[in-house]
Amino acid sequence: MSENKNPVATPGTAPPPVGADKTVVKAVNLSGGIFGACPAHVDVKDGKVIRIRPLHYDSKYDYASFNPWEMERNGIKFGPLSKSVPPPWGLAYKKRAYSPNRVPYPMKRVDWDPNGERNPQNRGSSKFERISWDEATDLIAAEIKRMHKEYGPLSILLQCDGHSESKLIHAPHGCSTLLLDKMGGFTQQVRNPDSWEGWYWGAKHVWGKGFIGNMAPAENLVVDMTENTELLVVQGGDLETTPWGFRGQFASRLMFFWQKAGMEQVYICPDLNYSAAVHANKWIPVLPNTDAALQLAIIYTWVTEGTYDKEYVATHAVGMDKIEDYVLGKVDGVVKTPKWAAGKTGIPSYTIKALARRWATRATTVGHYFGGGYIRGPYATEPARLECILLGMQGLGKPGQHHAQIAYMGMPKNITWDQLNYDIANSDTSKGFQEYSGTFETIKEKDPELHERIFNPHRGTPQAWGRQLIPKTLIEEAIKKGTDKYLEFWGTGGHEEEPIDQMIRYTYPAKKGDLRYTFGHGFDKAGQLQHDERDIDKTYHKIDYDGVPIHMVWTDTPCRQTCWGDGFDIGMTIRNPQIEFVLAQHPWLENDCIYADIVLPTNTYLEVDDVMPCVRDGEHFQTMLNMRQAIPPVGDSKSDFEAVVEIAKKLGKEKEVTIGRTVDQYIEGVYKGMNFDKITPWEEFQEKDYMVIPVSKNWRSLPAGLYEFYKDPVANPLPTPTGKLEFCSTNLQKFFPNDEERPPYPQWIEKGITHDERLSSDRARTYPLLIITNHPRWRVHAQADDIPWTKEAMTGKVRGYDGYLYEPCWINPQDAEARGIKTGDIVKVFNERGIVLCGALVIERIMPGAVSVDHGARTDIIIPGKLDRGGAINLITPKGLTSRHAGGQATTSFLVDVQRVSMEEMDCWRKEYPEQFGREYDRASGLRSSAWVERGSK
Amino acid sequence: MGKKVFIVDLSLCNGCHSCHIGCKDEHVANDWSPIAKPMPEIDHFWFKLQEKVRGTVPKVKVAYRPHFCMHCDNAPCMKVCPVGAKYKRDDGLVIIDPAKCTGCRKCIEICPYDAIYFNRDLNIAQKCTGCAHLIDAGWKETRCSDNCPTLCIRMMDEEDAKDLIAQAEVLKPELGTKPRVYYLHMPKKFIAGTVFDPVADEVHIGAECTLTGGGKTYKATSDHFGDFWFEDLPDAEFSLDIKVAGKSKAFTGLDTAEADINLGDIAI
Repeated sequence: MSENKNPVATPGTAPPPVGADKTVVKAVNLSGGIFGACPAHVDVKDGKVIRIRPLHYDSKYDYASFNPWEMERNGIKFGPLSKSVPPPWGLAYKKRAYSPNRVPYPMKRVDWDPNGERNPQNRGSSKFERISWDEATDLIAAEIKRMHKEYGPLSILLQCDGHSESKLIHAPHGCSTLLLDKMGGFTQQVRNPDSWEGWYWGAKHVWGKGFIGNMAPAENLVVDMTENTELLVVQGGDLETTPWGFRGQFASRLMFFWQKAGMEQVYICPDLNYSAAVHANKWIPVLPNTDAALQLAIIYTWVTEGTYDKEYVATHAVGMDKIEDYVLGKVDGVVKTPKWAAGKTGIPSYTIKALARRWATRATTVGHYFGGGYIRGPYATEPARLECILLGMQGLGKPGQHHAQIAYMGMPKNITWDQLNYDIANSDTSKGFQEYSGTFETIKEKDPELHERIFNPHRGTPQAWGRQLIPKTLIEEAIKKGTDKYLEFWGTGGHEEEPIDQMIRYTYPAKKGDLRYTFGHGFDKAGQLQHDERDIDKTYHKIDYDGVPIHMVWTDTPCRQTCWGDGFDIGMTIRNPQIEFVLAQHPWLENDCIYADIVLPTNTYLEVDDVMPCVRDGEHFQTMLNMRQAIPPVGDSKSDFEAVVEIAKKLGKEKEVTIGRTVDQYIEGVYKGMNFDKITPWEEFQEKDYMVIPVSKNWRSLPAGLYEFYKDPVANPLPTPTGKLEFCSTNLQKFFPNDEERPPYPQWIEKGITHDERLSSDRARTYPLLIITNHPRWRVHAQADDIPWTKEAMTGKVRGYDGYLYEPCWINPQDAEARGIKTGDIVKVFNERGIVLCGALVIERIMPGAVSVDHGARTDIIIPGKLDRGGAINLITPKGLTSRHAGGQATTSFLVDVQRVSMEEMDCWRKEYPEQFGREYDRASGLRSSAWVERGSK
Repeated sequence: MGKKVFIVDLSLCNGCHSCHIGCKDEHVANDWSPIAKPMPEIDHFWFKLQEKVRGTVPKVKVAYRPHFCMHCDNAPCMKVCPVGAKYKRDDGLVIIDPAKCTGCRKCIEICPYDAIYFNRDLNIAQKCTGCAHLIDAGWKETRCSDNCPTLCIRMMDEEDAKDLIAQAEVLKPELGTKPRVYYLHMPKKFIAGTVFDPVADEVHIGAECTLTGGGKTYKATSDHFGDFWFEDLPDAEFSLDIKVAGKSKAFTGLDTAEADINLGDIAI
């Protein structure tokens, strides 16, 4: 037997369900949406989960029937394992189902009286009392009726988007739309493209739409990189963290394979992230959000040394002259030399030159997996666009030269695209469907009623389809406008919107005559949008109604304070008396739930029957799961869908919501609607509870990435106005010629009207550290912060001397010593926006001058608007957008200081806020929901 | 029944803790008597993933190491048990019989690997069972290894693993405990740095670096980033000579016993 190097597969080892009386299949990833990932077997006994374990694909099928793919580099072979590779919190998910923080029953805030004083000023401070489902739904139905009568349907804001458990029928987010869409509509909170702001608001203007702003098409990147990429530059992303939420740990195997097979991996990030920690050939620490300076200096080096592909640039790009003038100092008098960049980035100038030369002489791909300090901070459009230019200058689309969301896209296709005629090969991949094989479109054709029932709850993330819109980043600004002022914004932020959408001015409340995207129209025969004003007319229509200010908020995504910007302000703004009623439905009493007037207890995927196509790229194989109920509902909970049905019943709209079908009918409809019965008969699927979609025999036939564009840019143009890479954007030049924060071509923005978060700022005298707020290693955003076992990892939580589990704050030994901080100390991370308490982790994995706190920790607010103990770092992030006309959030790379909390200071707080410090606390999992219940069972 | 061994390839560990979680998931609140009673919710680690940050910015690596009962063939815990609660199965796994253990804690004191925990509530000593209850029911792997996404940890039949065992090492071999847990690619120490020319403001590529220590001489040349790396070094005192462009620089007293050494950016 050879050395234990990436064995290709170990079929035939499927383990039996020891001790179980029932075994079911579940998708245990947490990205939500219409497609899941990470199939697992859940063993159950007497209605309790015994264990959750990887699904062995071959436990009920022959492994060879999956037609497993294989790749090879330098004589090392790589292929799928015969089991799934879920992330750790997915394998520990029973702790989430049985968490002491579950919402136990329907609850009403004790001092919220819909017929008297509503006390909005006490949201987040006063506690709850138990009510019955019947009472709760009576109150909710009465409030909806009152809203409709007094203000109109659009006075209800639905916050129902974002990541969640993988459930298709019992969608964790958006079931409320099924009801209100049938009652005159609603105001939609449009999810910001969080995690890739820079690409969405920036890169799109260089290479056209792309899927969510990433390079597209992105087919077969994985095999092409395996065979051709010599240098992989990973800028900010973490392949050992962020893929977990979406697709599990396949990316980890891939990175180990590439590493052992000789692909050089260079990581550029302020922290030695988890991927760099085990895969890096070279770590280049960069001060947070200064990547644009590094990129400009690389361009300068290539321009002055003549080491870029001038021929490619001449035929494939426009605007190089402007970039050249800019880096040579002809525009602003500043020459963007490596020395200049060294002063901004903290990277030695000789290292910058060495990197530039290495890149210029190797087939180089820039690798990502969302997130990191690089793409989510103030002015993130600039590094994103500069990355496109760097790639363009070396010949984007040549073999091995790509922008790659590694394994998120570009994996071998399964048979659905060729044998089931989904025809992805011939579709317009710039529209964005290449991240998965298999679509919902076939259901739409066969059974449009079912399609609407299943798809609409999941629609709030990709599409801005509500009758009135507010971008997720601007909810608080909208509320602060009151009832007599308008909010203006450019672009909705809907993930699948065209770049041209960012040139459109929207208003809240909506005004008659405002433009709105017309779904299903506006593409030419090639499926492409022509980018001129005529097409705005073709693709958008004028609305013929006026909107109204919002007066009620209904959330099934209660995590704004810990996931969006300036969270302390979010908590204070929801106390505005204009918001007369806040309804939350959620399994756990966490974050924004505490600010609701009524909370409905919903449940987890373990507690319901559901179905899930796991057809996204980035796993060993793609699967379809018949996710049968594992355990009875915990407490007095119902699913998110059932909760909405209960409300619908009180409004006489049950049939409209359920379309008169049962859950079993939905499951069968989805399975057959997606044509899966052509692979495995429905009866066999029901018996086995899962099926594996075989890999296409033709998977290699799709060209890698932008290869066709590279070969012939005239015949295969990009979806930009010029059809070429727009180093200088035609649209930005036309619509925002004077925008100094997102100029027509990317620049270094030291500060602007929106942000002042650099070390050169006067603010840095008081707040001298730059903080990064990565996607969390041990959560998915706000999800899963109550699992005891992940907290036991060294970087999980830091137990303070008071026994409390604090969120870790990484700080370099130099910065720690200067502040007298030791590992385990309780520290305060603060700026003028407030104080967040953390536990110090003094560590060489963060560069001097920078600190790091993963975002998404559960809030534990001690002083509303001022002090948090939970470590929810987004409470003090900037409020501003990515930039004035770019509606993303800027929640990483901002100024703070970190100081040790003295015993005296802590004692002062404890004396002043004894109740808050005395909240019921579970030593293993943290806060308990009982802390917020004043009166129990009735 | 074939003898079982654990093969742990540390070059494949990504630190995800799925192993540790699999162990908790299997053993917390689940009673697998007669093999094991439940493990406490937290602070007990029948399976512990150890984590060490090596070096200083920017020459930093993270070393993870799964640590659990070594299922020694010459197990100190078995010898000191006054009631004979420990037994070795035919497949090599060492088990503490929860029904026989009287909670005297002698095994906890004697175990050189700190792999045994005292359960106060049950008044018994507990540790990794090698998931014997699963193996007996037909599992080929343990929960920790079944959960492992990279095949870093594998339970194998000793016969099939001979080649791997030949390349592997065990912890504290000098004690003669004969562990059945074998580690591949156990990290040693490194000495690293970056060589640059402060006048030209360029890295030195191809600088000849000669490291001497522990009775051996090691050679390296600086790469395209000016970086040189000496890896897999023993604990010893080293001296280093760097020669480039007719110039040289020397370092002495580089002691790897304490820690890995990053010499930083070296101007020559």
